[in-house]
Amino acid sequence: MEQILATTFRSAAPLVLVATAGVFAFRAGIFHLGLEGLMITGAFTTVAVAETTGSVTLGILAAIGVCMALSALYWWVIGPLGANVIIAGLGLTSIGLGGTAFALGAIYDRRGSLFTDVVLPRPLSGITSGPGVIVSEHSILVWLTPLIVLAAWIVLRRSRFGLRLAAVGEYPFAARTAGVSPSIMRLQALLIAGALCALGGAELSVGALHNFTENMTNGRGFIAFVAVIFGAWHPIGAALAGLFFGLADAIGIQSQINITERVPREFVLMIPFVLTVVAVWLGGLWRRRSLEAEAGYAELKEPDF
Amino acid sequence: MTGGLQRLASTVVLVGFSFLLTALILWISGYGVGDVFSGTIQGAITATGAATSTVRWAIPLLLIGLGVVIGFRAGFFNIGGQGQFYMGACAALVVALGWREGPATLVILCGTAAAIIAGLSWSLLPGYLRVRFGTDEVLTTLMMNFIGALVLQYLTAGPMRNPSGTGQTAASERIPEAFRITDSSGVSATVLLLVGAVAVLVWLLLERTRFGLTMTLVGRNPTMARWQGIDVRRVGLVTFGLSGALAGLAGAVELHGPGARLVTGFSPEVGFTAVVVALVGLLSVWGTVVAAIFFGGLQSAILFLPIVTDLPPPALVLLHGMVAFLVTVKLRAVRRRRTGSASEAVTS
Repeated sequence: MEQILATTFRSAAPLVLVATAGVFAFRAGIFHLGLEGLMITGAFTTVAVAETTGSVTLGILAAIGVCMALSALYWWVIGPLGANVIIAGLGLTSIGLGGTAFALGAIYDRRGSLFTDVVLPRPLSGITSGPGVIVSEHSILVWLTPLIVLAAWIVLRRSRFGLRLAAVGEYPFAARTAGVSPSIMRLQALLIAGALCALGGAELSVGALHNFTENMTNGRGFIAFVAVIFGAWHPIGAALAGLFFGLADAIGIQSQINITERVPREFVLMIPFVLTVVAVWLGGLWRRRSLEAEAGYAELKEPDF
Repeated sequence: MTGGLQRLASTVVLVGFSFLLTALILWISGYGVGDVFSGTIQGAITATGAATSTVRWAIPLLLIGLGVVIGFRAGFFNIGGQGQFYMGACAALVVALGWREGPATLVILCGTAAAIIAGLSWSLLPGYLRVRFGTDEVLTTLMMNFIGALVLQYLTAGPMRNPSGTGQTAASERIPEAFRITDSSGVSATVLLLVGAVAVLVWLLLERTRFGLTMTLVGRNPTMARWQGIDVRRVGLVTFGLSGALAGLAGAVELHGPGARLVTGFSPEVGFTAVVVALVGLLSVWGTVVAAIFFGGLQSAILFLPIVTDLPPPALVLLHGMVAFLVTVKLRAVRRRRTGSASEAVTS
């Protein structure tokens, strides 16, 4: 039981961080399918810079910088250049996955993975007795994650920026009339999302583990995107959805070990996706404005290519 | 026609630009650009078995890509090709392993039919939700991809698992050799005929039938189509169904052709690459054929690269990404920006 909880939090933390990134993008009306690519870029940059400089802080700052730069490029392509949000997002993911694996070979002349001793501190690693296993092995970023989610919620709900962002996502034409530039708001939302993806990637590589491995995100960026939808594009909802995915993952790992378990782990892992389909369907059924960001999305999702 | 030519030119420019950008990155990283291109050409065309491998990888891309083209014609964004492909392969696997003693031709036909039905049902659900309730198909088809991947994982790691398999990733048992329509190269006259026939049929459907015209109308302007008495829902459902059926067929071809067994998470990129293929092919049937061969060549080069040069395969994943990232850019928008003549107030 303790082990399940510990695994849940460890699997959920990067998901929650990236899902929060997805919430910012979604609020601006962007279906961000490049989360996976940004996440792996964050993971790689953190490890590479931390290993070179010996400072994990520098590593994370560099990762944030690189991910924000990529996000700015993504904004440039889908905004001013009018590219398709979804295709360009998937492209960004491939660039991240291919680019990091390529850089691993080009810089370190190796394939597979890169180890580092420079990792995030684990503040409670001293507590090892009994249920202490729940808290002992988590990095500082896991502890910061709830605060980040809370901060995201306050920013989106209470700040001028958050309300403007909601306006841009819900009805960009009205926002523009009111003197808010949807384009600039989208850029800001994507930059925040980039920084959060970098943190999610960093937690994955130097928080939970000691290394960067090719394709280590393994679809987590997409699962985080699903968590955004499942959590009704609300930071708290997305975080809970992320936690749920973490739990499904933990139970999955456990049931793999425990052979007497009768339910195959694949079916446990399937639940969130099935529920998301149902949630998206019911959301559209019950409320006409099912997707608050629909108009903003519609503005970017032009049918003719 | 000028519009078509302009789009063709713009796609060629954008794909070329993606190549240049990737070449620049490779050059900065210390690789000889000439080596990269000669390596890619060797891996795609000239090396022994490379041309066959190109066609082998082009086949699933083409079949799934044609499904994407059909979807786009009627205005639907089916990014669920991956899941539909997996479900098709799974259905064919269940038939082939469940009926080992059956006559080969019959088993292959049944397996293919099962694959088509599986792919079709995997796309009909999002299609039904879309036309009946307006549920966004991008989200639902994406979810169905994950569910399909888990079904595949369940089958290959559970009931269909090869107990003597030793690899790290779970794989199913092999289907009997008699049930295969190609050798492991994945290319044979049967497959080429089948794929060619499918391409011609899709072209006939889209360009030469009343239904194809109806689909295009629905895609251009569903409201007007409805006012003209077109049953938009029916058209939507048929479109989604056809789209999924083609992806399911691709799954069957994969199993009965080069695969012979299924491995957890095989060809993980094929569904998304097929969307890029359809877009690079300008959503036309013959354009998609050309684009599928092009991307099949890249895929083949990825596999051949370690043999012919020291360039790592991820470089081509990067190239793939660049093409997808840039291919939908509207060059019109670039020019408009530069002259600054159009106001920002109207983006559509």
